[in-house]
Amino acid sequence: MGKYVLKRVLLLIPTIFLVCLIVFALMRAVPGDAVDSIVTRMTQSGQTVDADAVRHKLGLDVPAAQQFFNWLADAVRGNLGDSFFQFDTVSNIIARQLPVSLELGILTLIFANLISIPLGLFCAAKQDSIPDYTVRIIAVIFMAIPVFWLATLVLFYPAQWWDYSPPVQYVSFFEDPLTNLQMFLIPSILGALAQAGMQLRIVRTMVLDTMRQDYIRTAYAKGVNQTHVMFQHAFRNSMIPVITVIGFSVGALIGGNVVLENIFNIPGIGQLLVTALGQRDYPVVQGSVLVMSIFVMIVNLIVDIAYKWIDPRIKYD
Amino acid sequence: MTLLKDLFQKKTLGGICLVILIIFLLLAIFADVIVPTPMVDGSLSKSVKDSLIAPFTNWSHPLGTDRLGQDLLSYMIYGARTSVILCVCCTILSTIMQLVIGVLSAVFGGWFDLIVQRVVDAVGCIPMMLLLLLMMSMMGNGIPQLIIALAVPSGIAGSRMVRSAAISVKDSGYCNNSDLLGGTAIWKSVKHVVPNIMPLIIINAAGSLGSVVMMEASMNFLGYGVSAGTPSWGALITGQGREMLFKAPWLCIVPGLAITILTFSACMFGDAIRDLLDPRLKGGVGSYNTKKLDKILRKLDASSAKKNKPNAAA
Repeated sequence: MGKYVLKRVLLLIPTIFLVCLIVFALMRAVPGDAVDSIVTRMTQSGQTVDADAVRHKLGLDVPAAQQFFNWLADAVRGNLGDSFFQFDTVSNIIARQLPVSLELGILTLIFANLISIPLGLFCAAKQDSIPDYTVRIIAVIFMAIPVFWLATLVLFYPAQWWDYSPPVQYVSFFEDPLTNLQMFLIPSILGALAQAGMQLRIVRTMVLDTMRQDYIRTAYAKGVNQTHVMFQHAFRNSMIPVITVIGFSVGALIGGNVVLENIFNIPGIGQLLVTALGQRDYPVVQGSVLVMSIFVMIVNLIVDIAYKWIDPRIKYD
Repeated sequence: MTLLKDLFQKKTLGGICLVILIIFLLLAIFADVIVPTPMVDGSLSKSVKDSLIAPFTNWSHPLGTDRLGQDLLSYMIYGARTSVILCVCCTILSTIMQLVIGVLSAVFGGWFDLIVQRVVDAVGCIPMMLLLLLMMSMMGNGIPQLIIALAVPSGIAGSRMVRSAAISVKDSGYCNNSDLLGGTAIWKSVKHVVPNIMPLIIINAAGSLGSVVMMEASMNFLGYGVSAGTPSWGALITGQGREMLFKAPWLCIVPGLAITILTFSACMFGDAIRDLLDPRLKGGVGSYNTKKLDKILRKLDASSAKKNKPNAAA
């Protein structure tokens, strides 16, 4: 076990290096750089600037390979650099915006689980009946609805019909929990629908898979009633792969909510990335991708280890 | 052919969804012939006089018109062409990438595998949406760019599944025999590994059909998508659909429904294909469908009882 964990942790290092390299290369390949955008902005506001001076000040006048290793050397020491546009360090910006995305992601997961697990069990219990088919078809419909379309409709029509709209100014949970939750309620439910559709199908398949095991037959043969078999034997054993799937979707939920954050004006990491990408704010993009990728990797690692720890049948490789 | 027959007999809904997909495909191919107002020089005819006709009120414009007086039905059909091109090209490209990377990584193994898998891990860790945004801002808007941006990350990240399937095949007896007979690694991959993991590949490809349409629409929403002027459902929702939400709700609702229907059909079709191809889910004894099994058993009982009766009488 210890050896396996150590091997996995050591393998993370080249992966993180590659993540940085890929993002750095892609970012530098994007046409138009930060200097152009700063110079245009300054000239518009009536100031004269020397492009070369700006370039030197931002450290962009050295070859790209050197820039990369400079940045990496700083990043290893915990210094992610300063934003080109936001007069703040990248670490501070990420520390401000990552918790917002985390909150949205966690709320989404809670709603998704509240919907998917009971319904998945229900479907498995009523396998191949009309309620089962109906729930499954609805699950696929939820997966098929484009979330930005639904969000647009949900945001604008109630505003016109009943004068209701969620708060658009972000307030931290610790300042005003009620307003904060009001703001996150609709986006997290919308995000949860697609996630719940996917999870429901996995829960159903896994419960049915477990129901075919010998120990379930034994339990039935002993005369245990169906509810007990469902909850005590089938449910608990089928949750292991479901937990894995939930763990792996955490990364996507935190980084992939760009659209919802955009529509509901939630200042999360997705918003940050889109803005920074548009401005060519290299340190912010590189820093936040680094933090997010490490986050995803650690979650995946924990899920992997936990999976093998929970289920002793699985061998380490 | 048997697969198609099975699809319609055992998975009727999957069959219906295949028909819907084929209808979309035909709409895309014959768009120029079908549409009420065909495109001239790459743009639909505009007439300010006919602007904002509601759907089902004027039969020369069955789905109404937009702010510029463009016929919405024609726009939707040309949009279907964009979506279908993206769907087909992305799925083919990403499937080929998955196959090549996954199979080679599994067959060669060793250092090659270790390095390739680190790259695959790295791409898998970067949030997909961000990778798409980066690639799109690097290449600019347009259909070919969108195909590459959508297909390459999913091709690399999805190869992991192909690799693990290929590894389980490559250690089997017939692959070892091929090695003993002097077959090269490439021969082994093409002749033995690929045919044996084909069901998984088809399942993956069918499953990813739907997500392409959705991703394209989301990218359009964030401002990175098809180039301006190309008819696309996602672009219609984000452009006029959102601006005219109260004056002309159909401009937002119709394309959204179209995306939902296409994605839904692709998902259901992918599910049906998976159920038919996945050996674990195949029919017969041990299939999930226990009710059907009961029926078959009851029939068998009944027929054996009939056969036994004359014997009992004799």
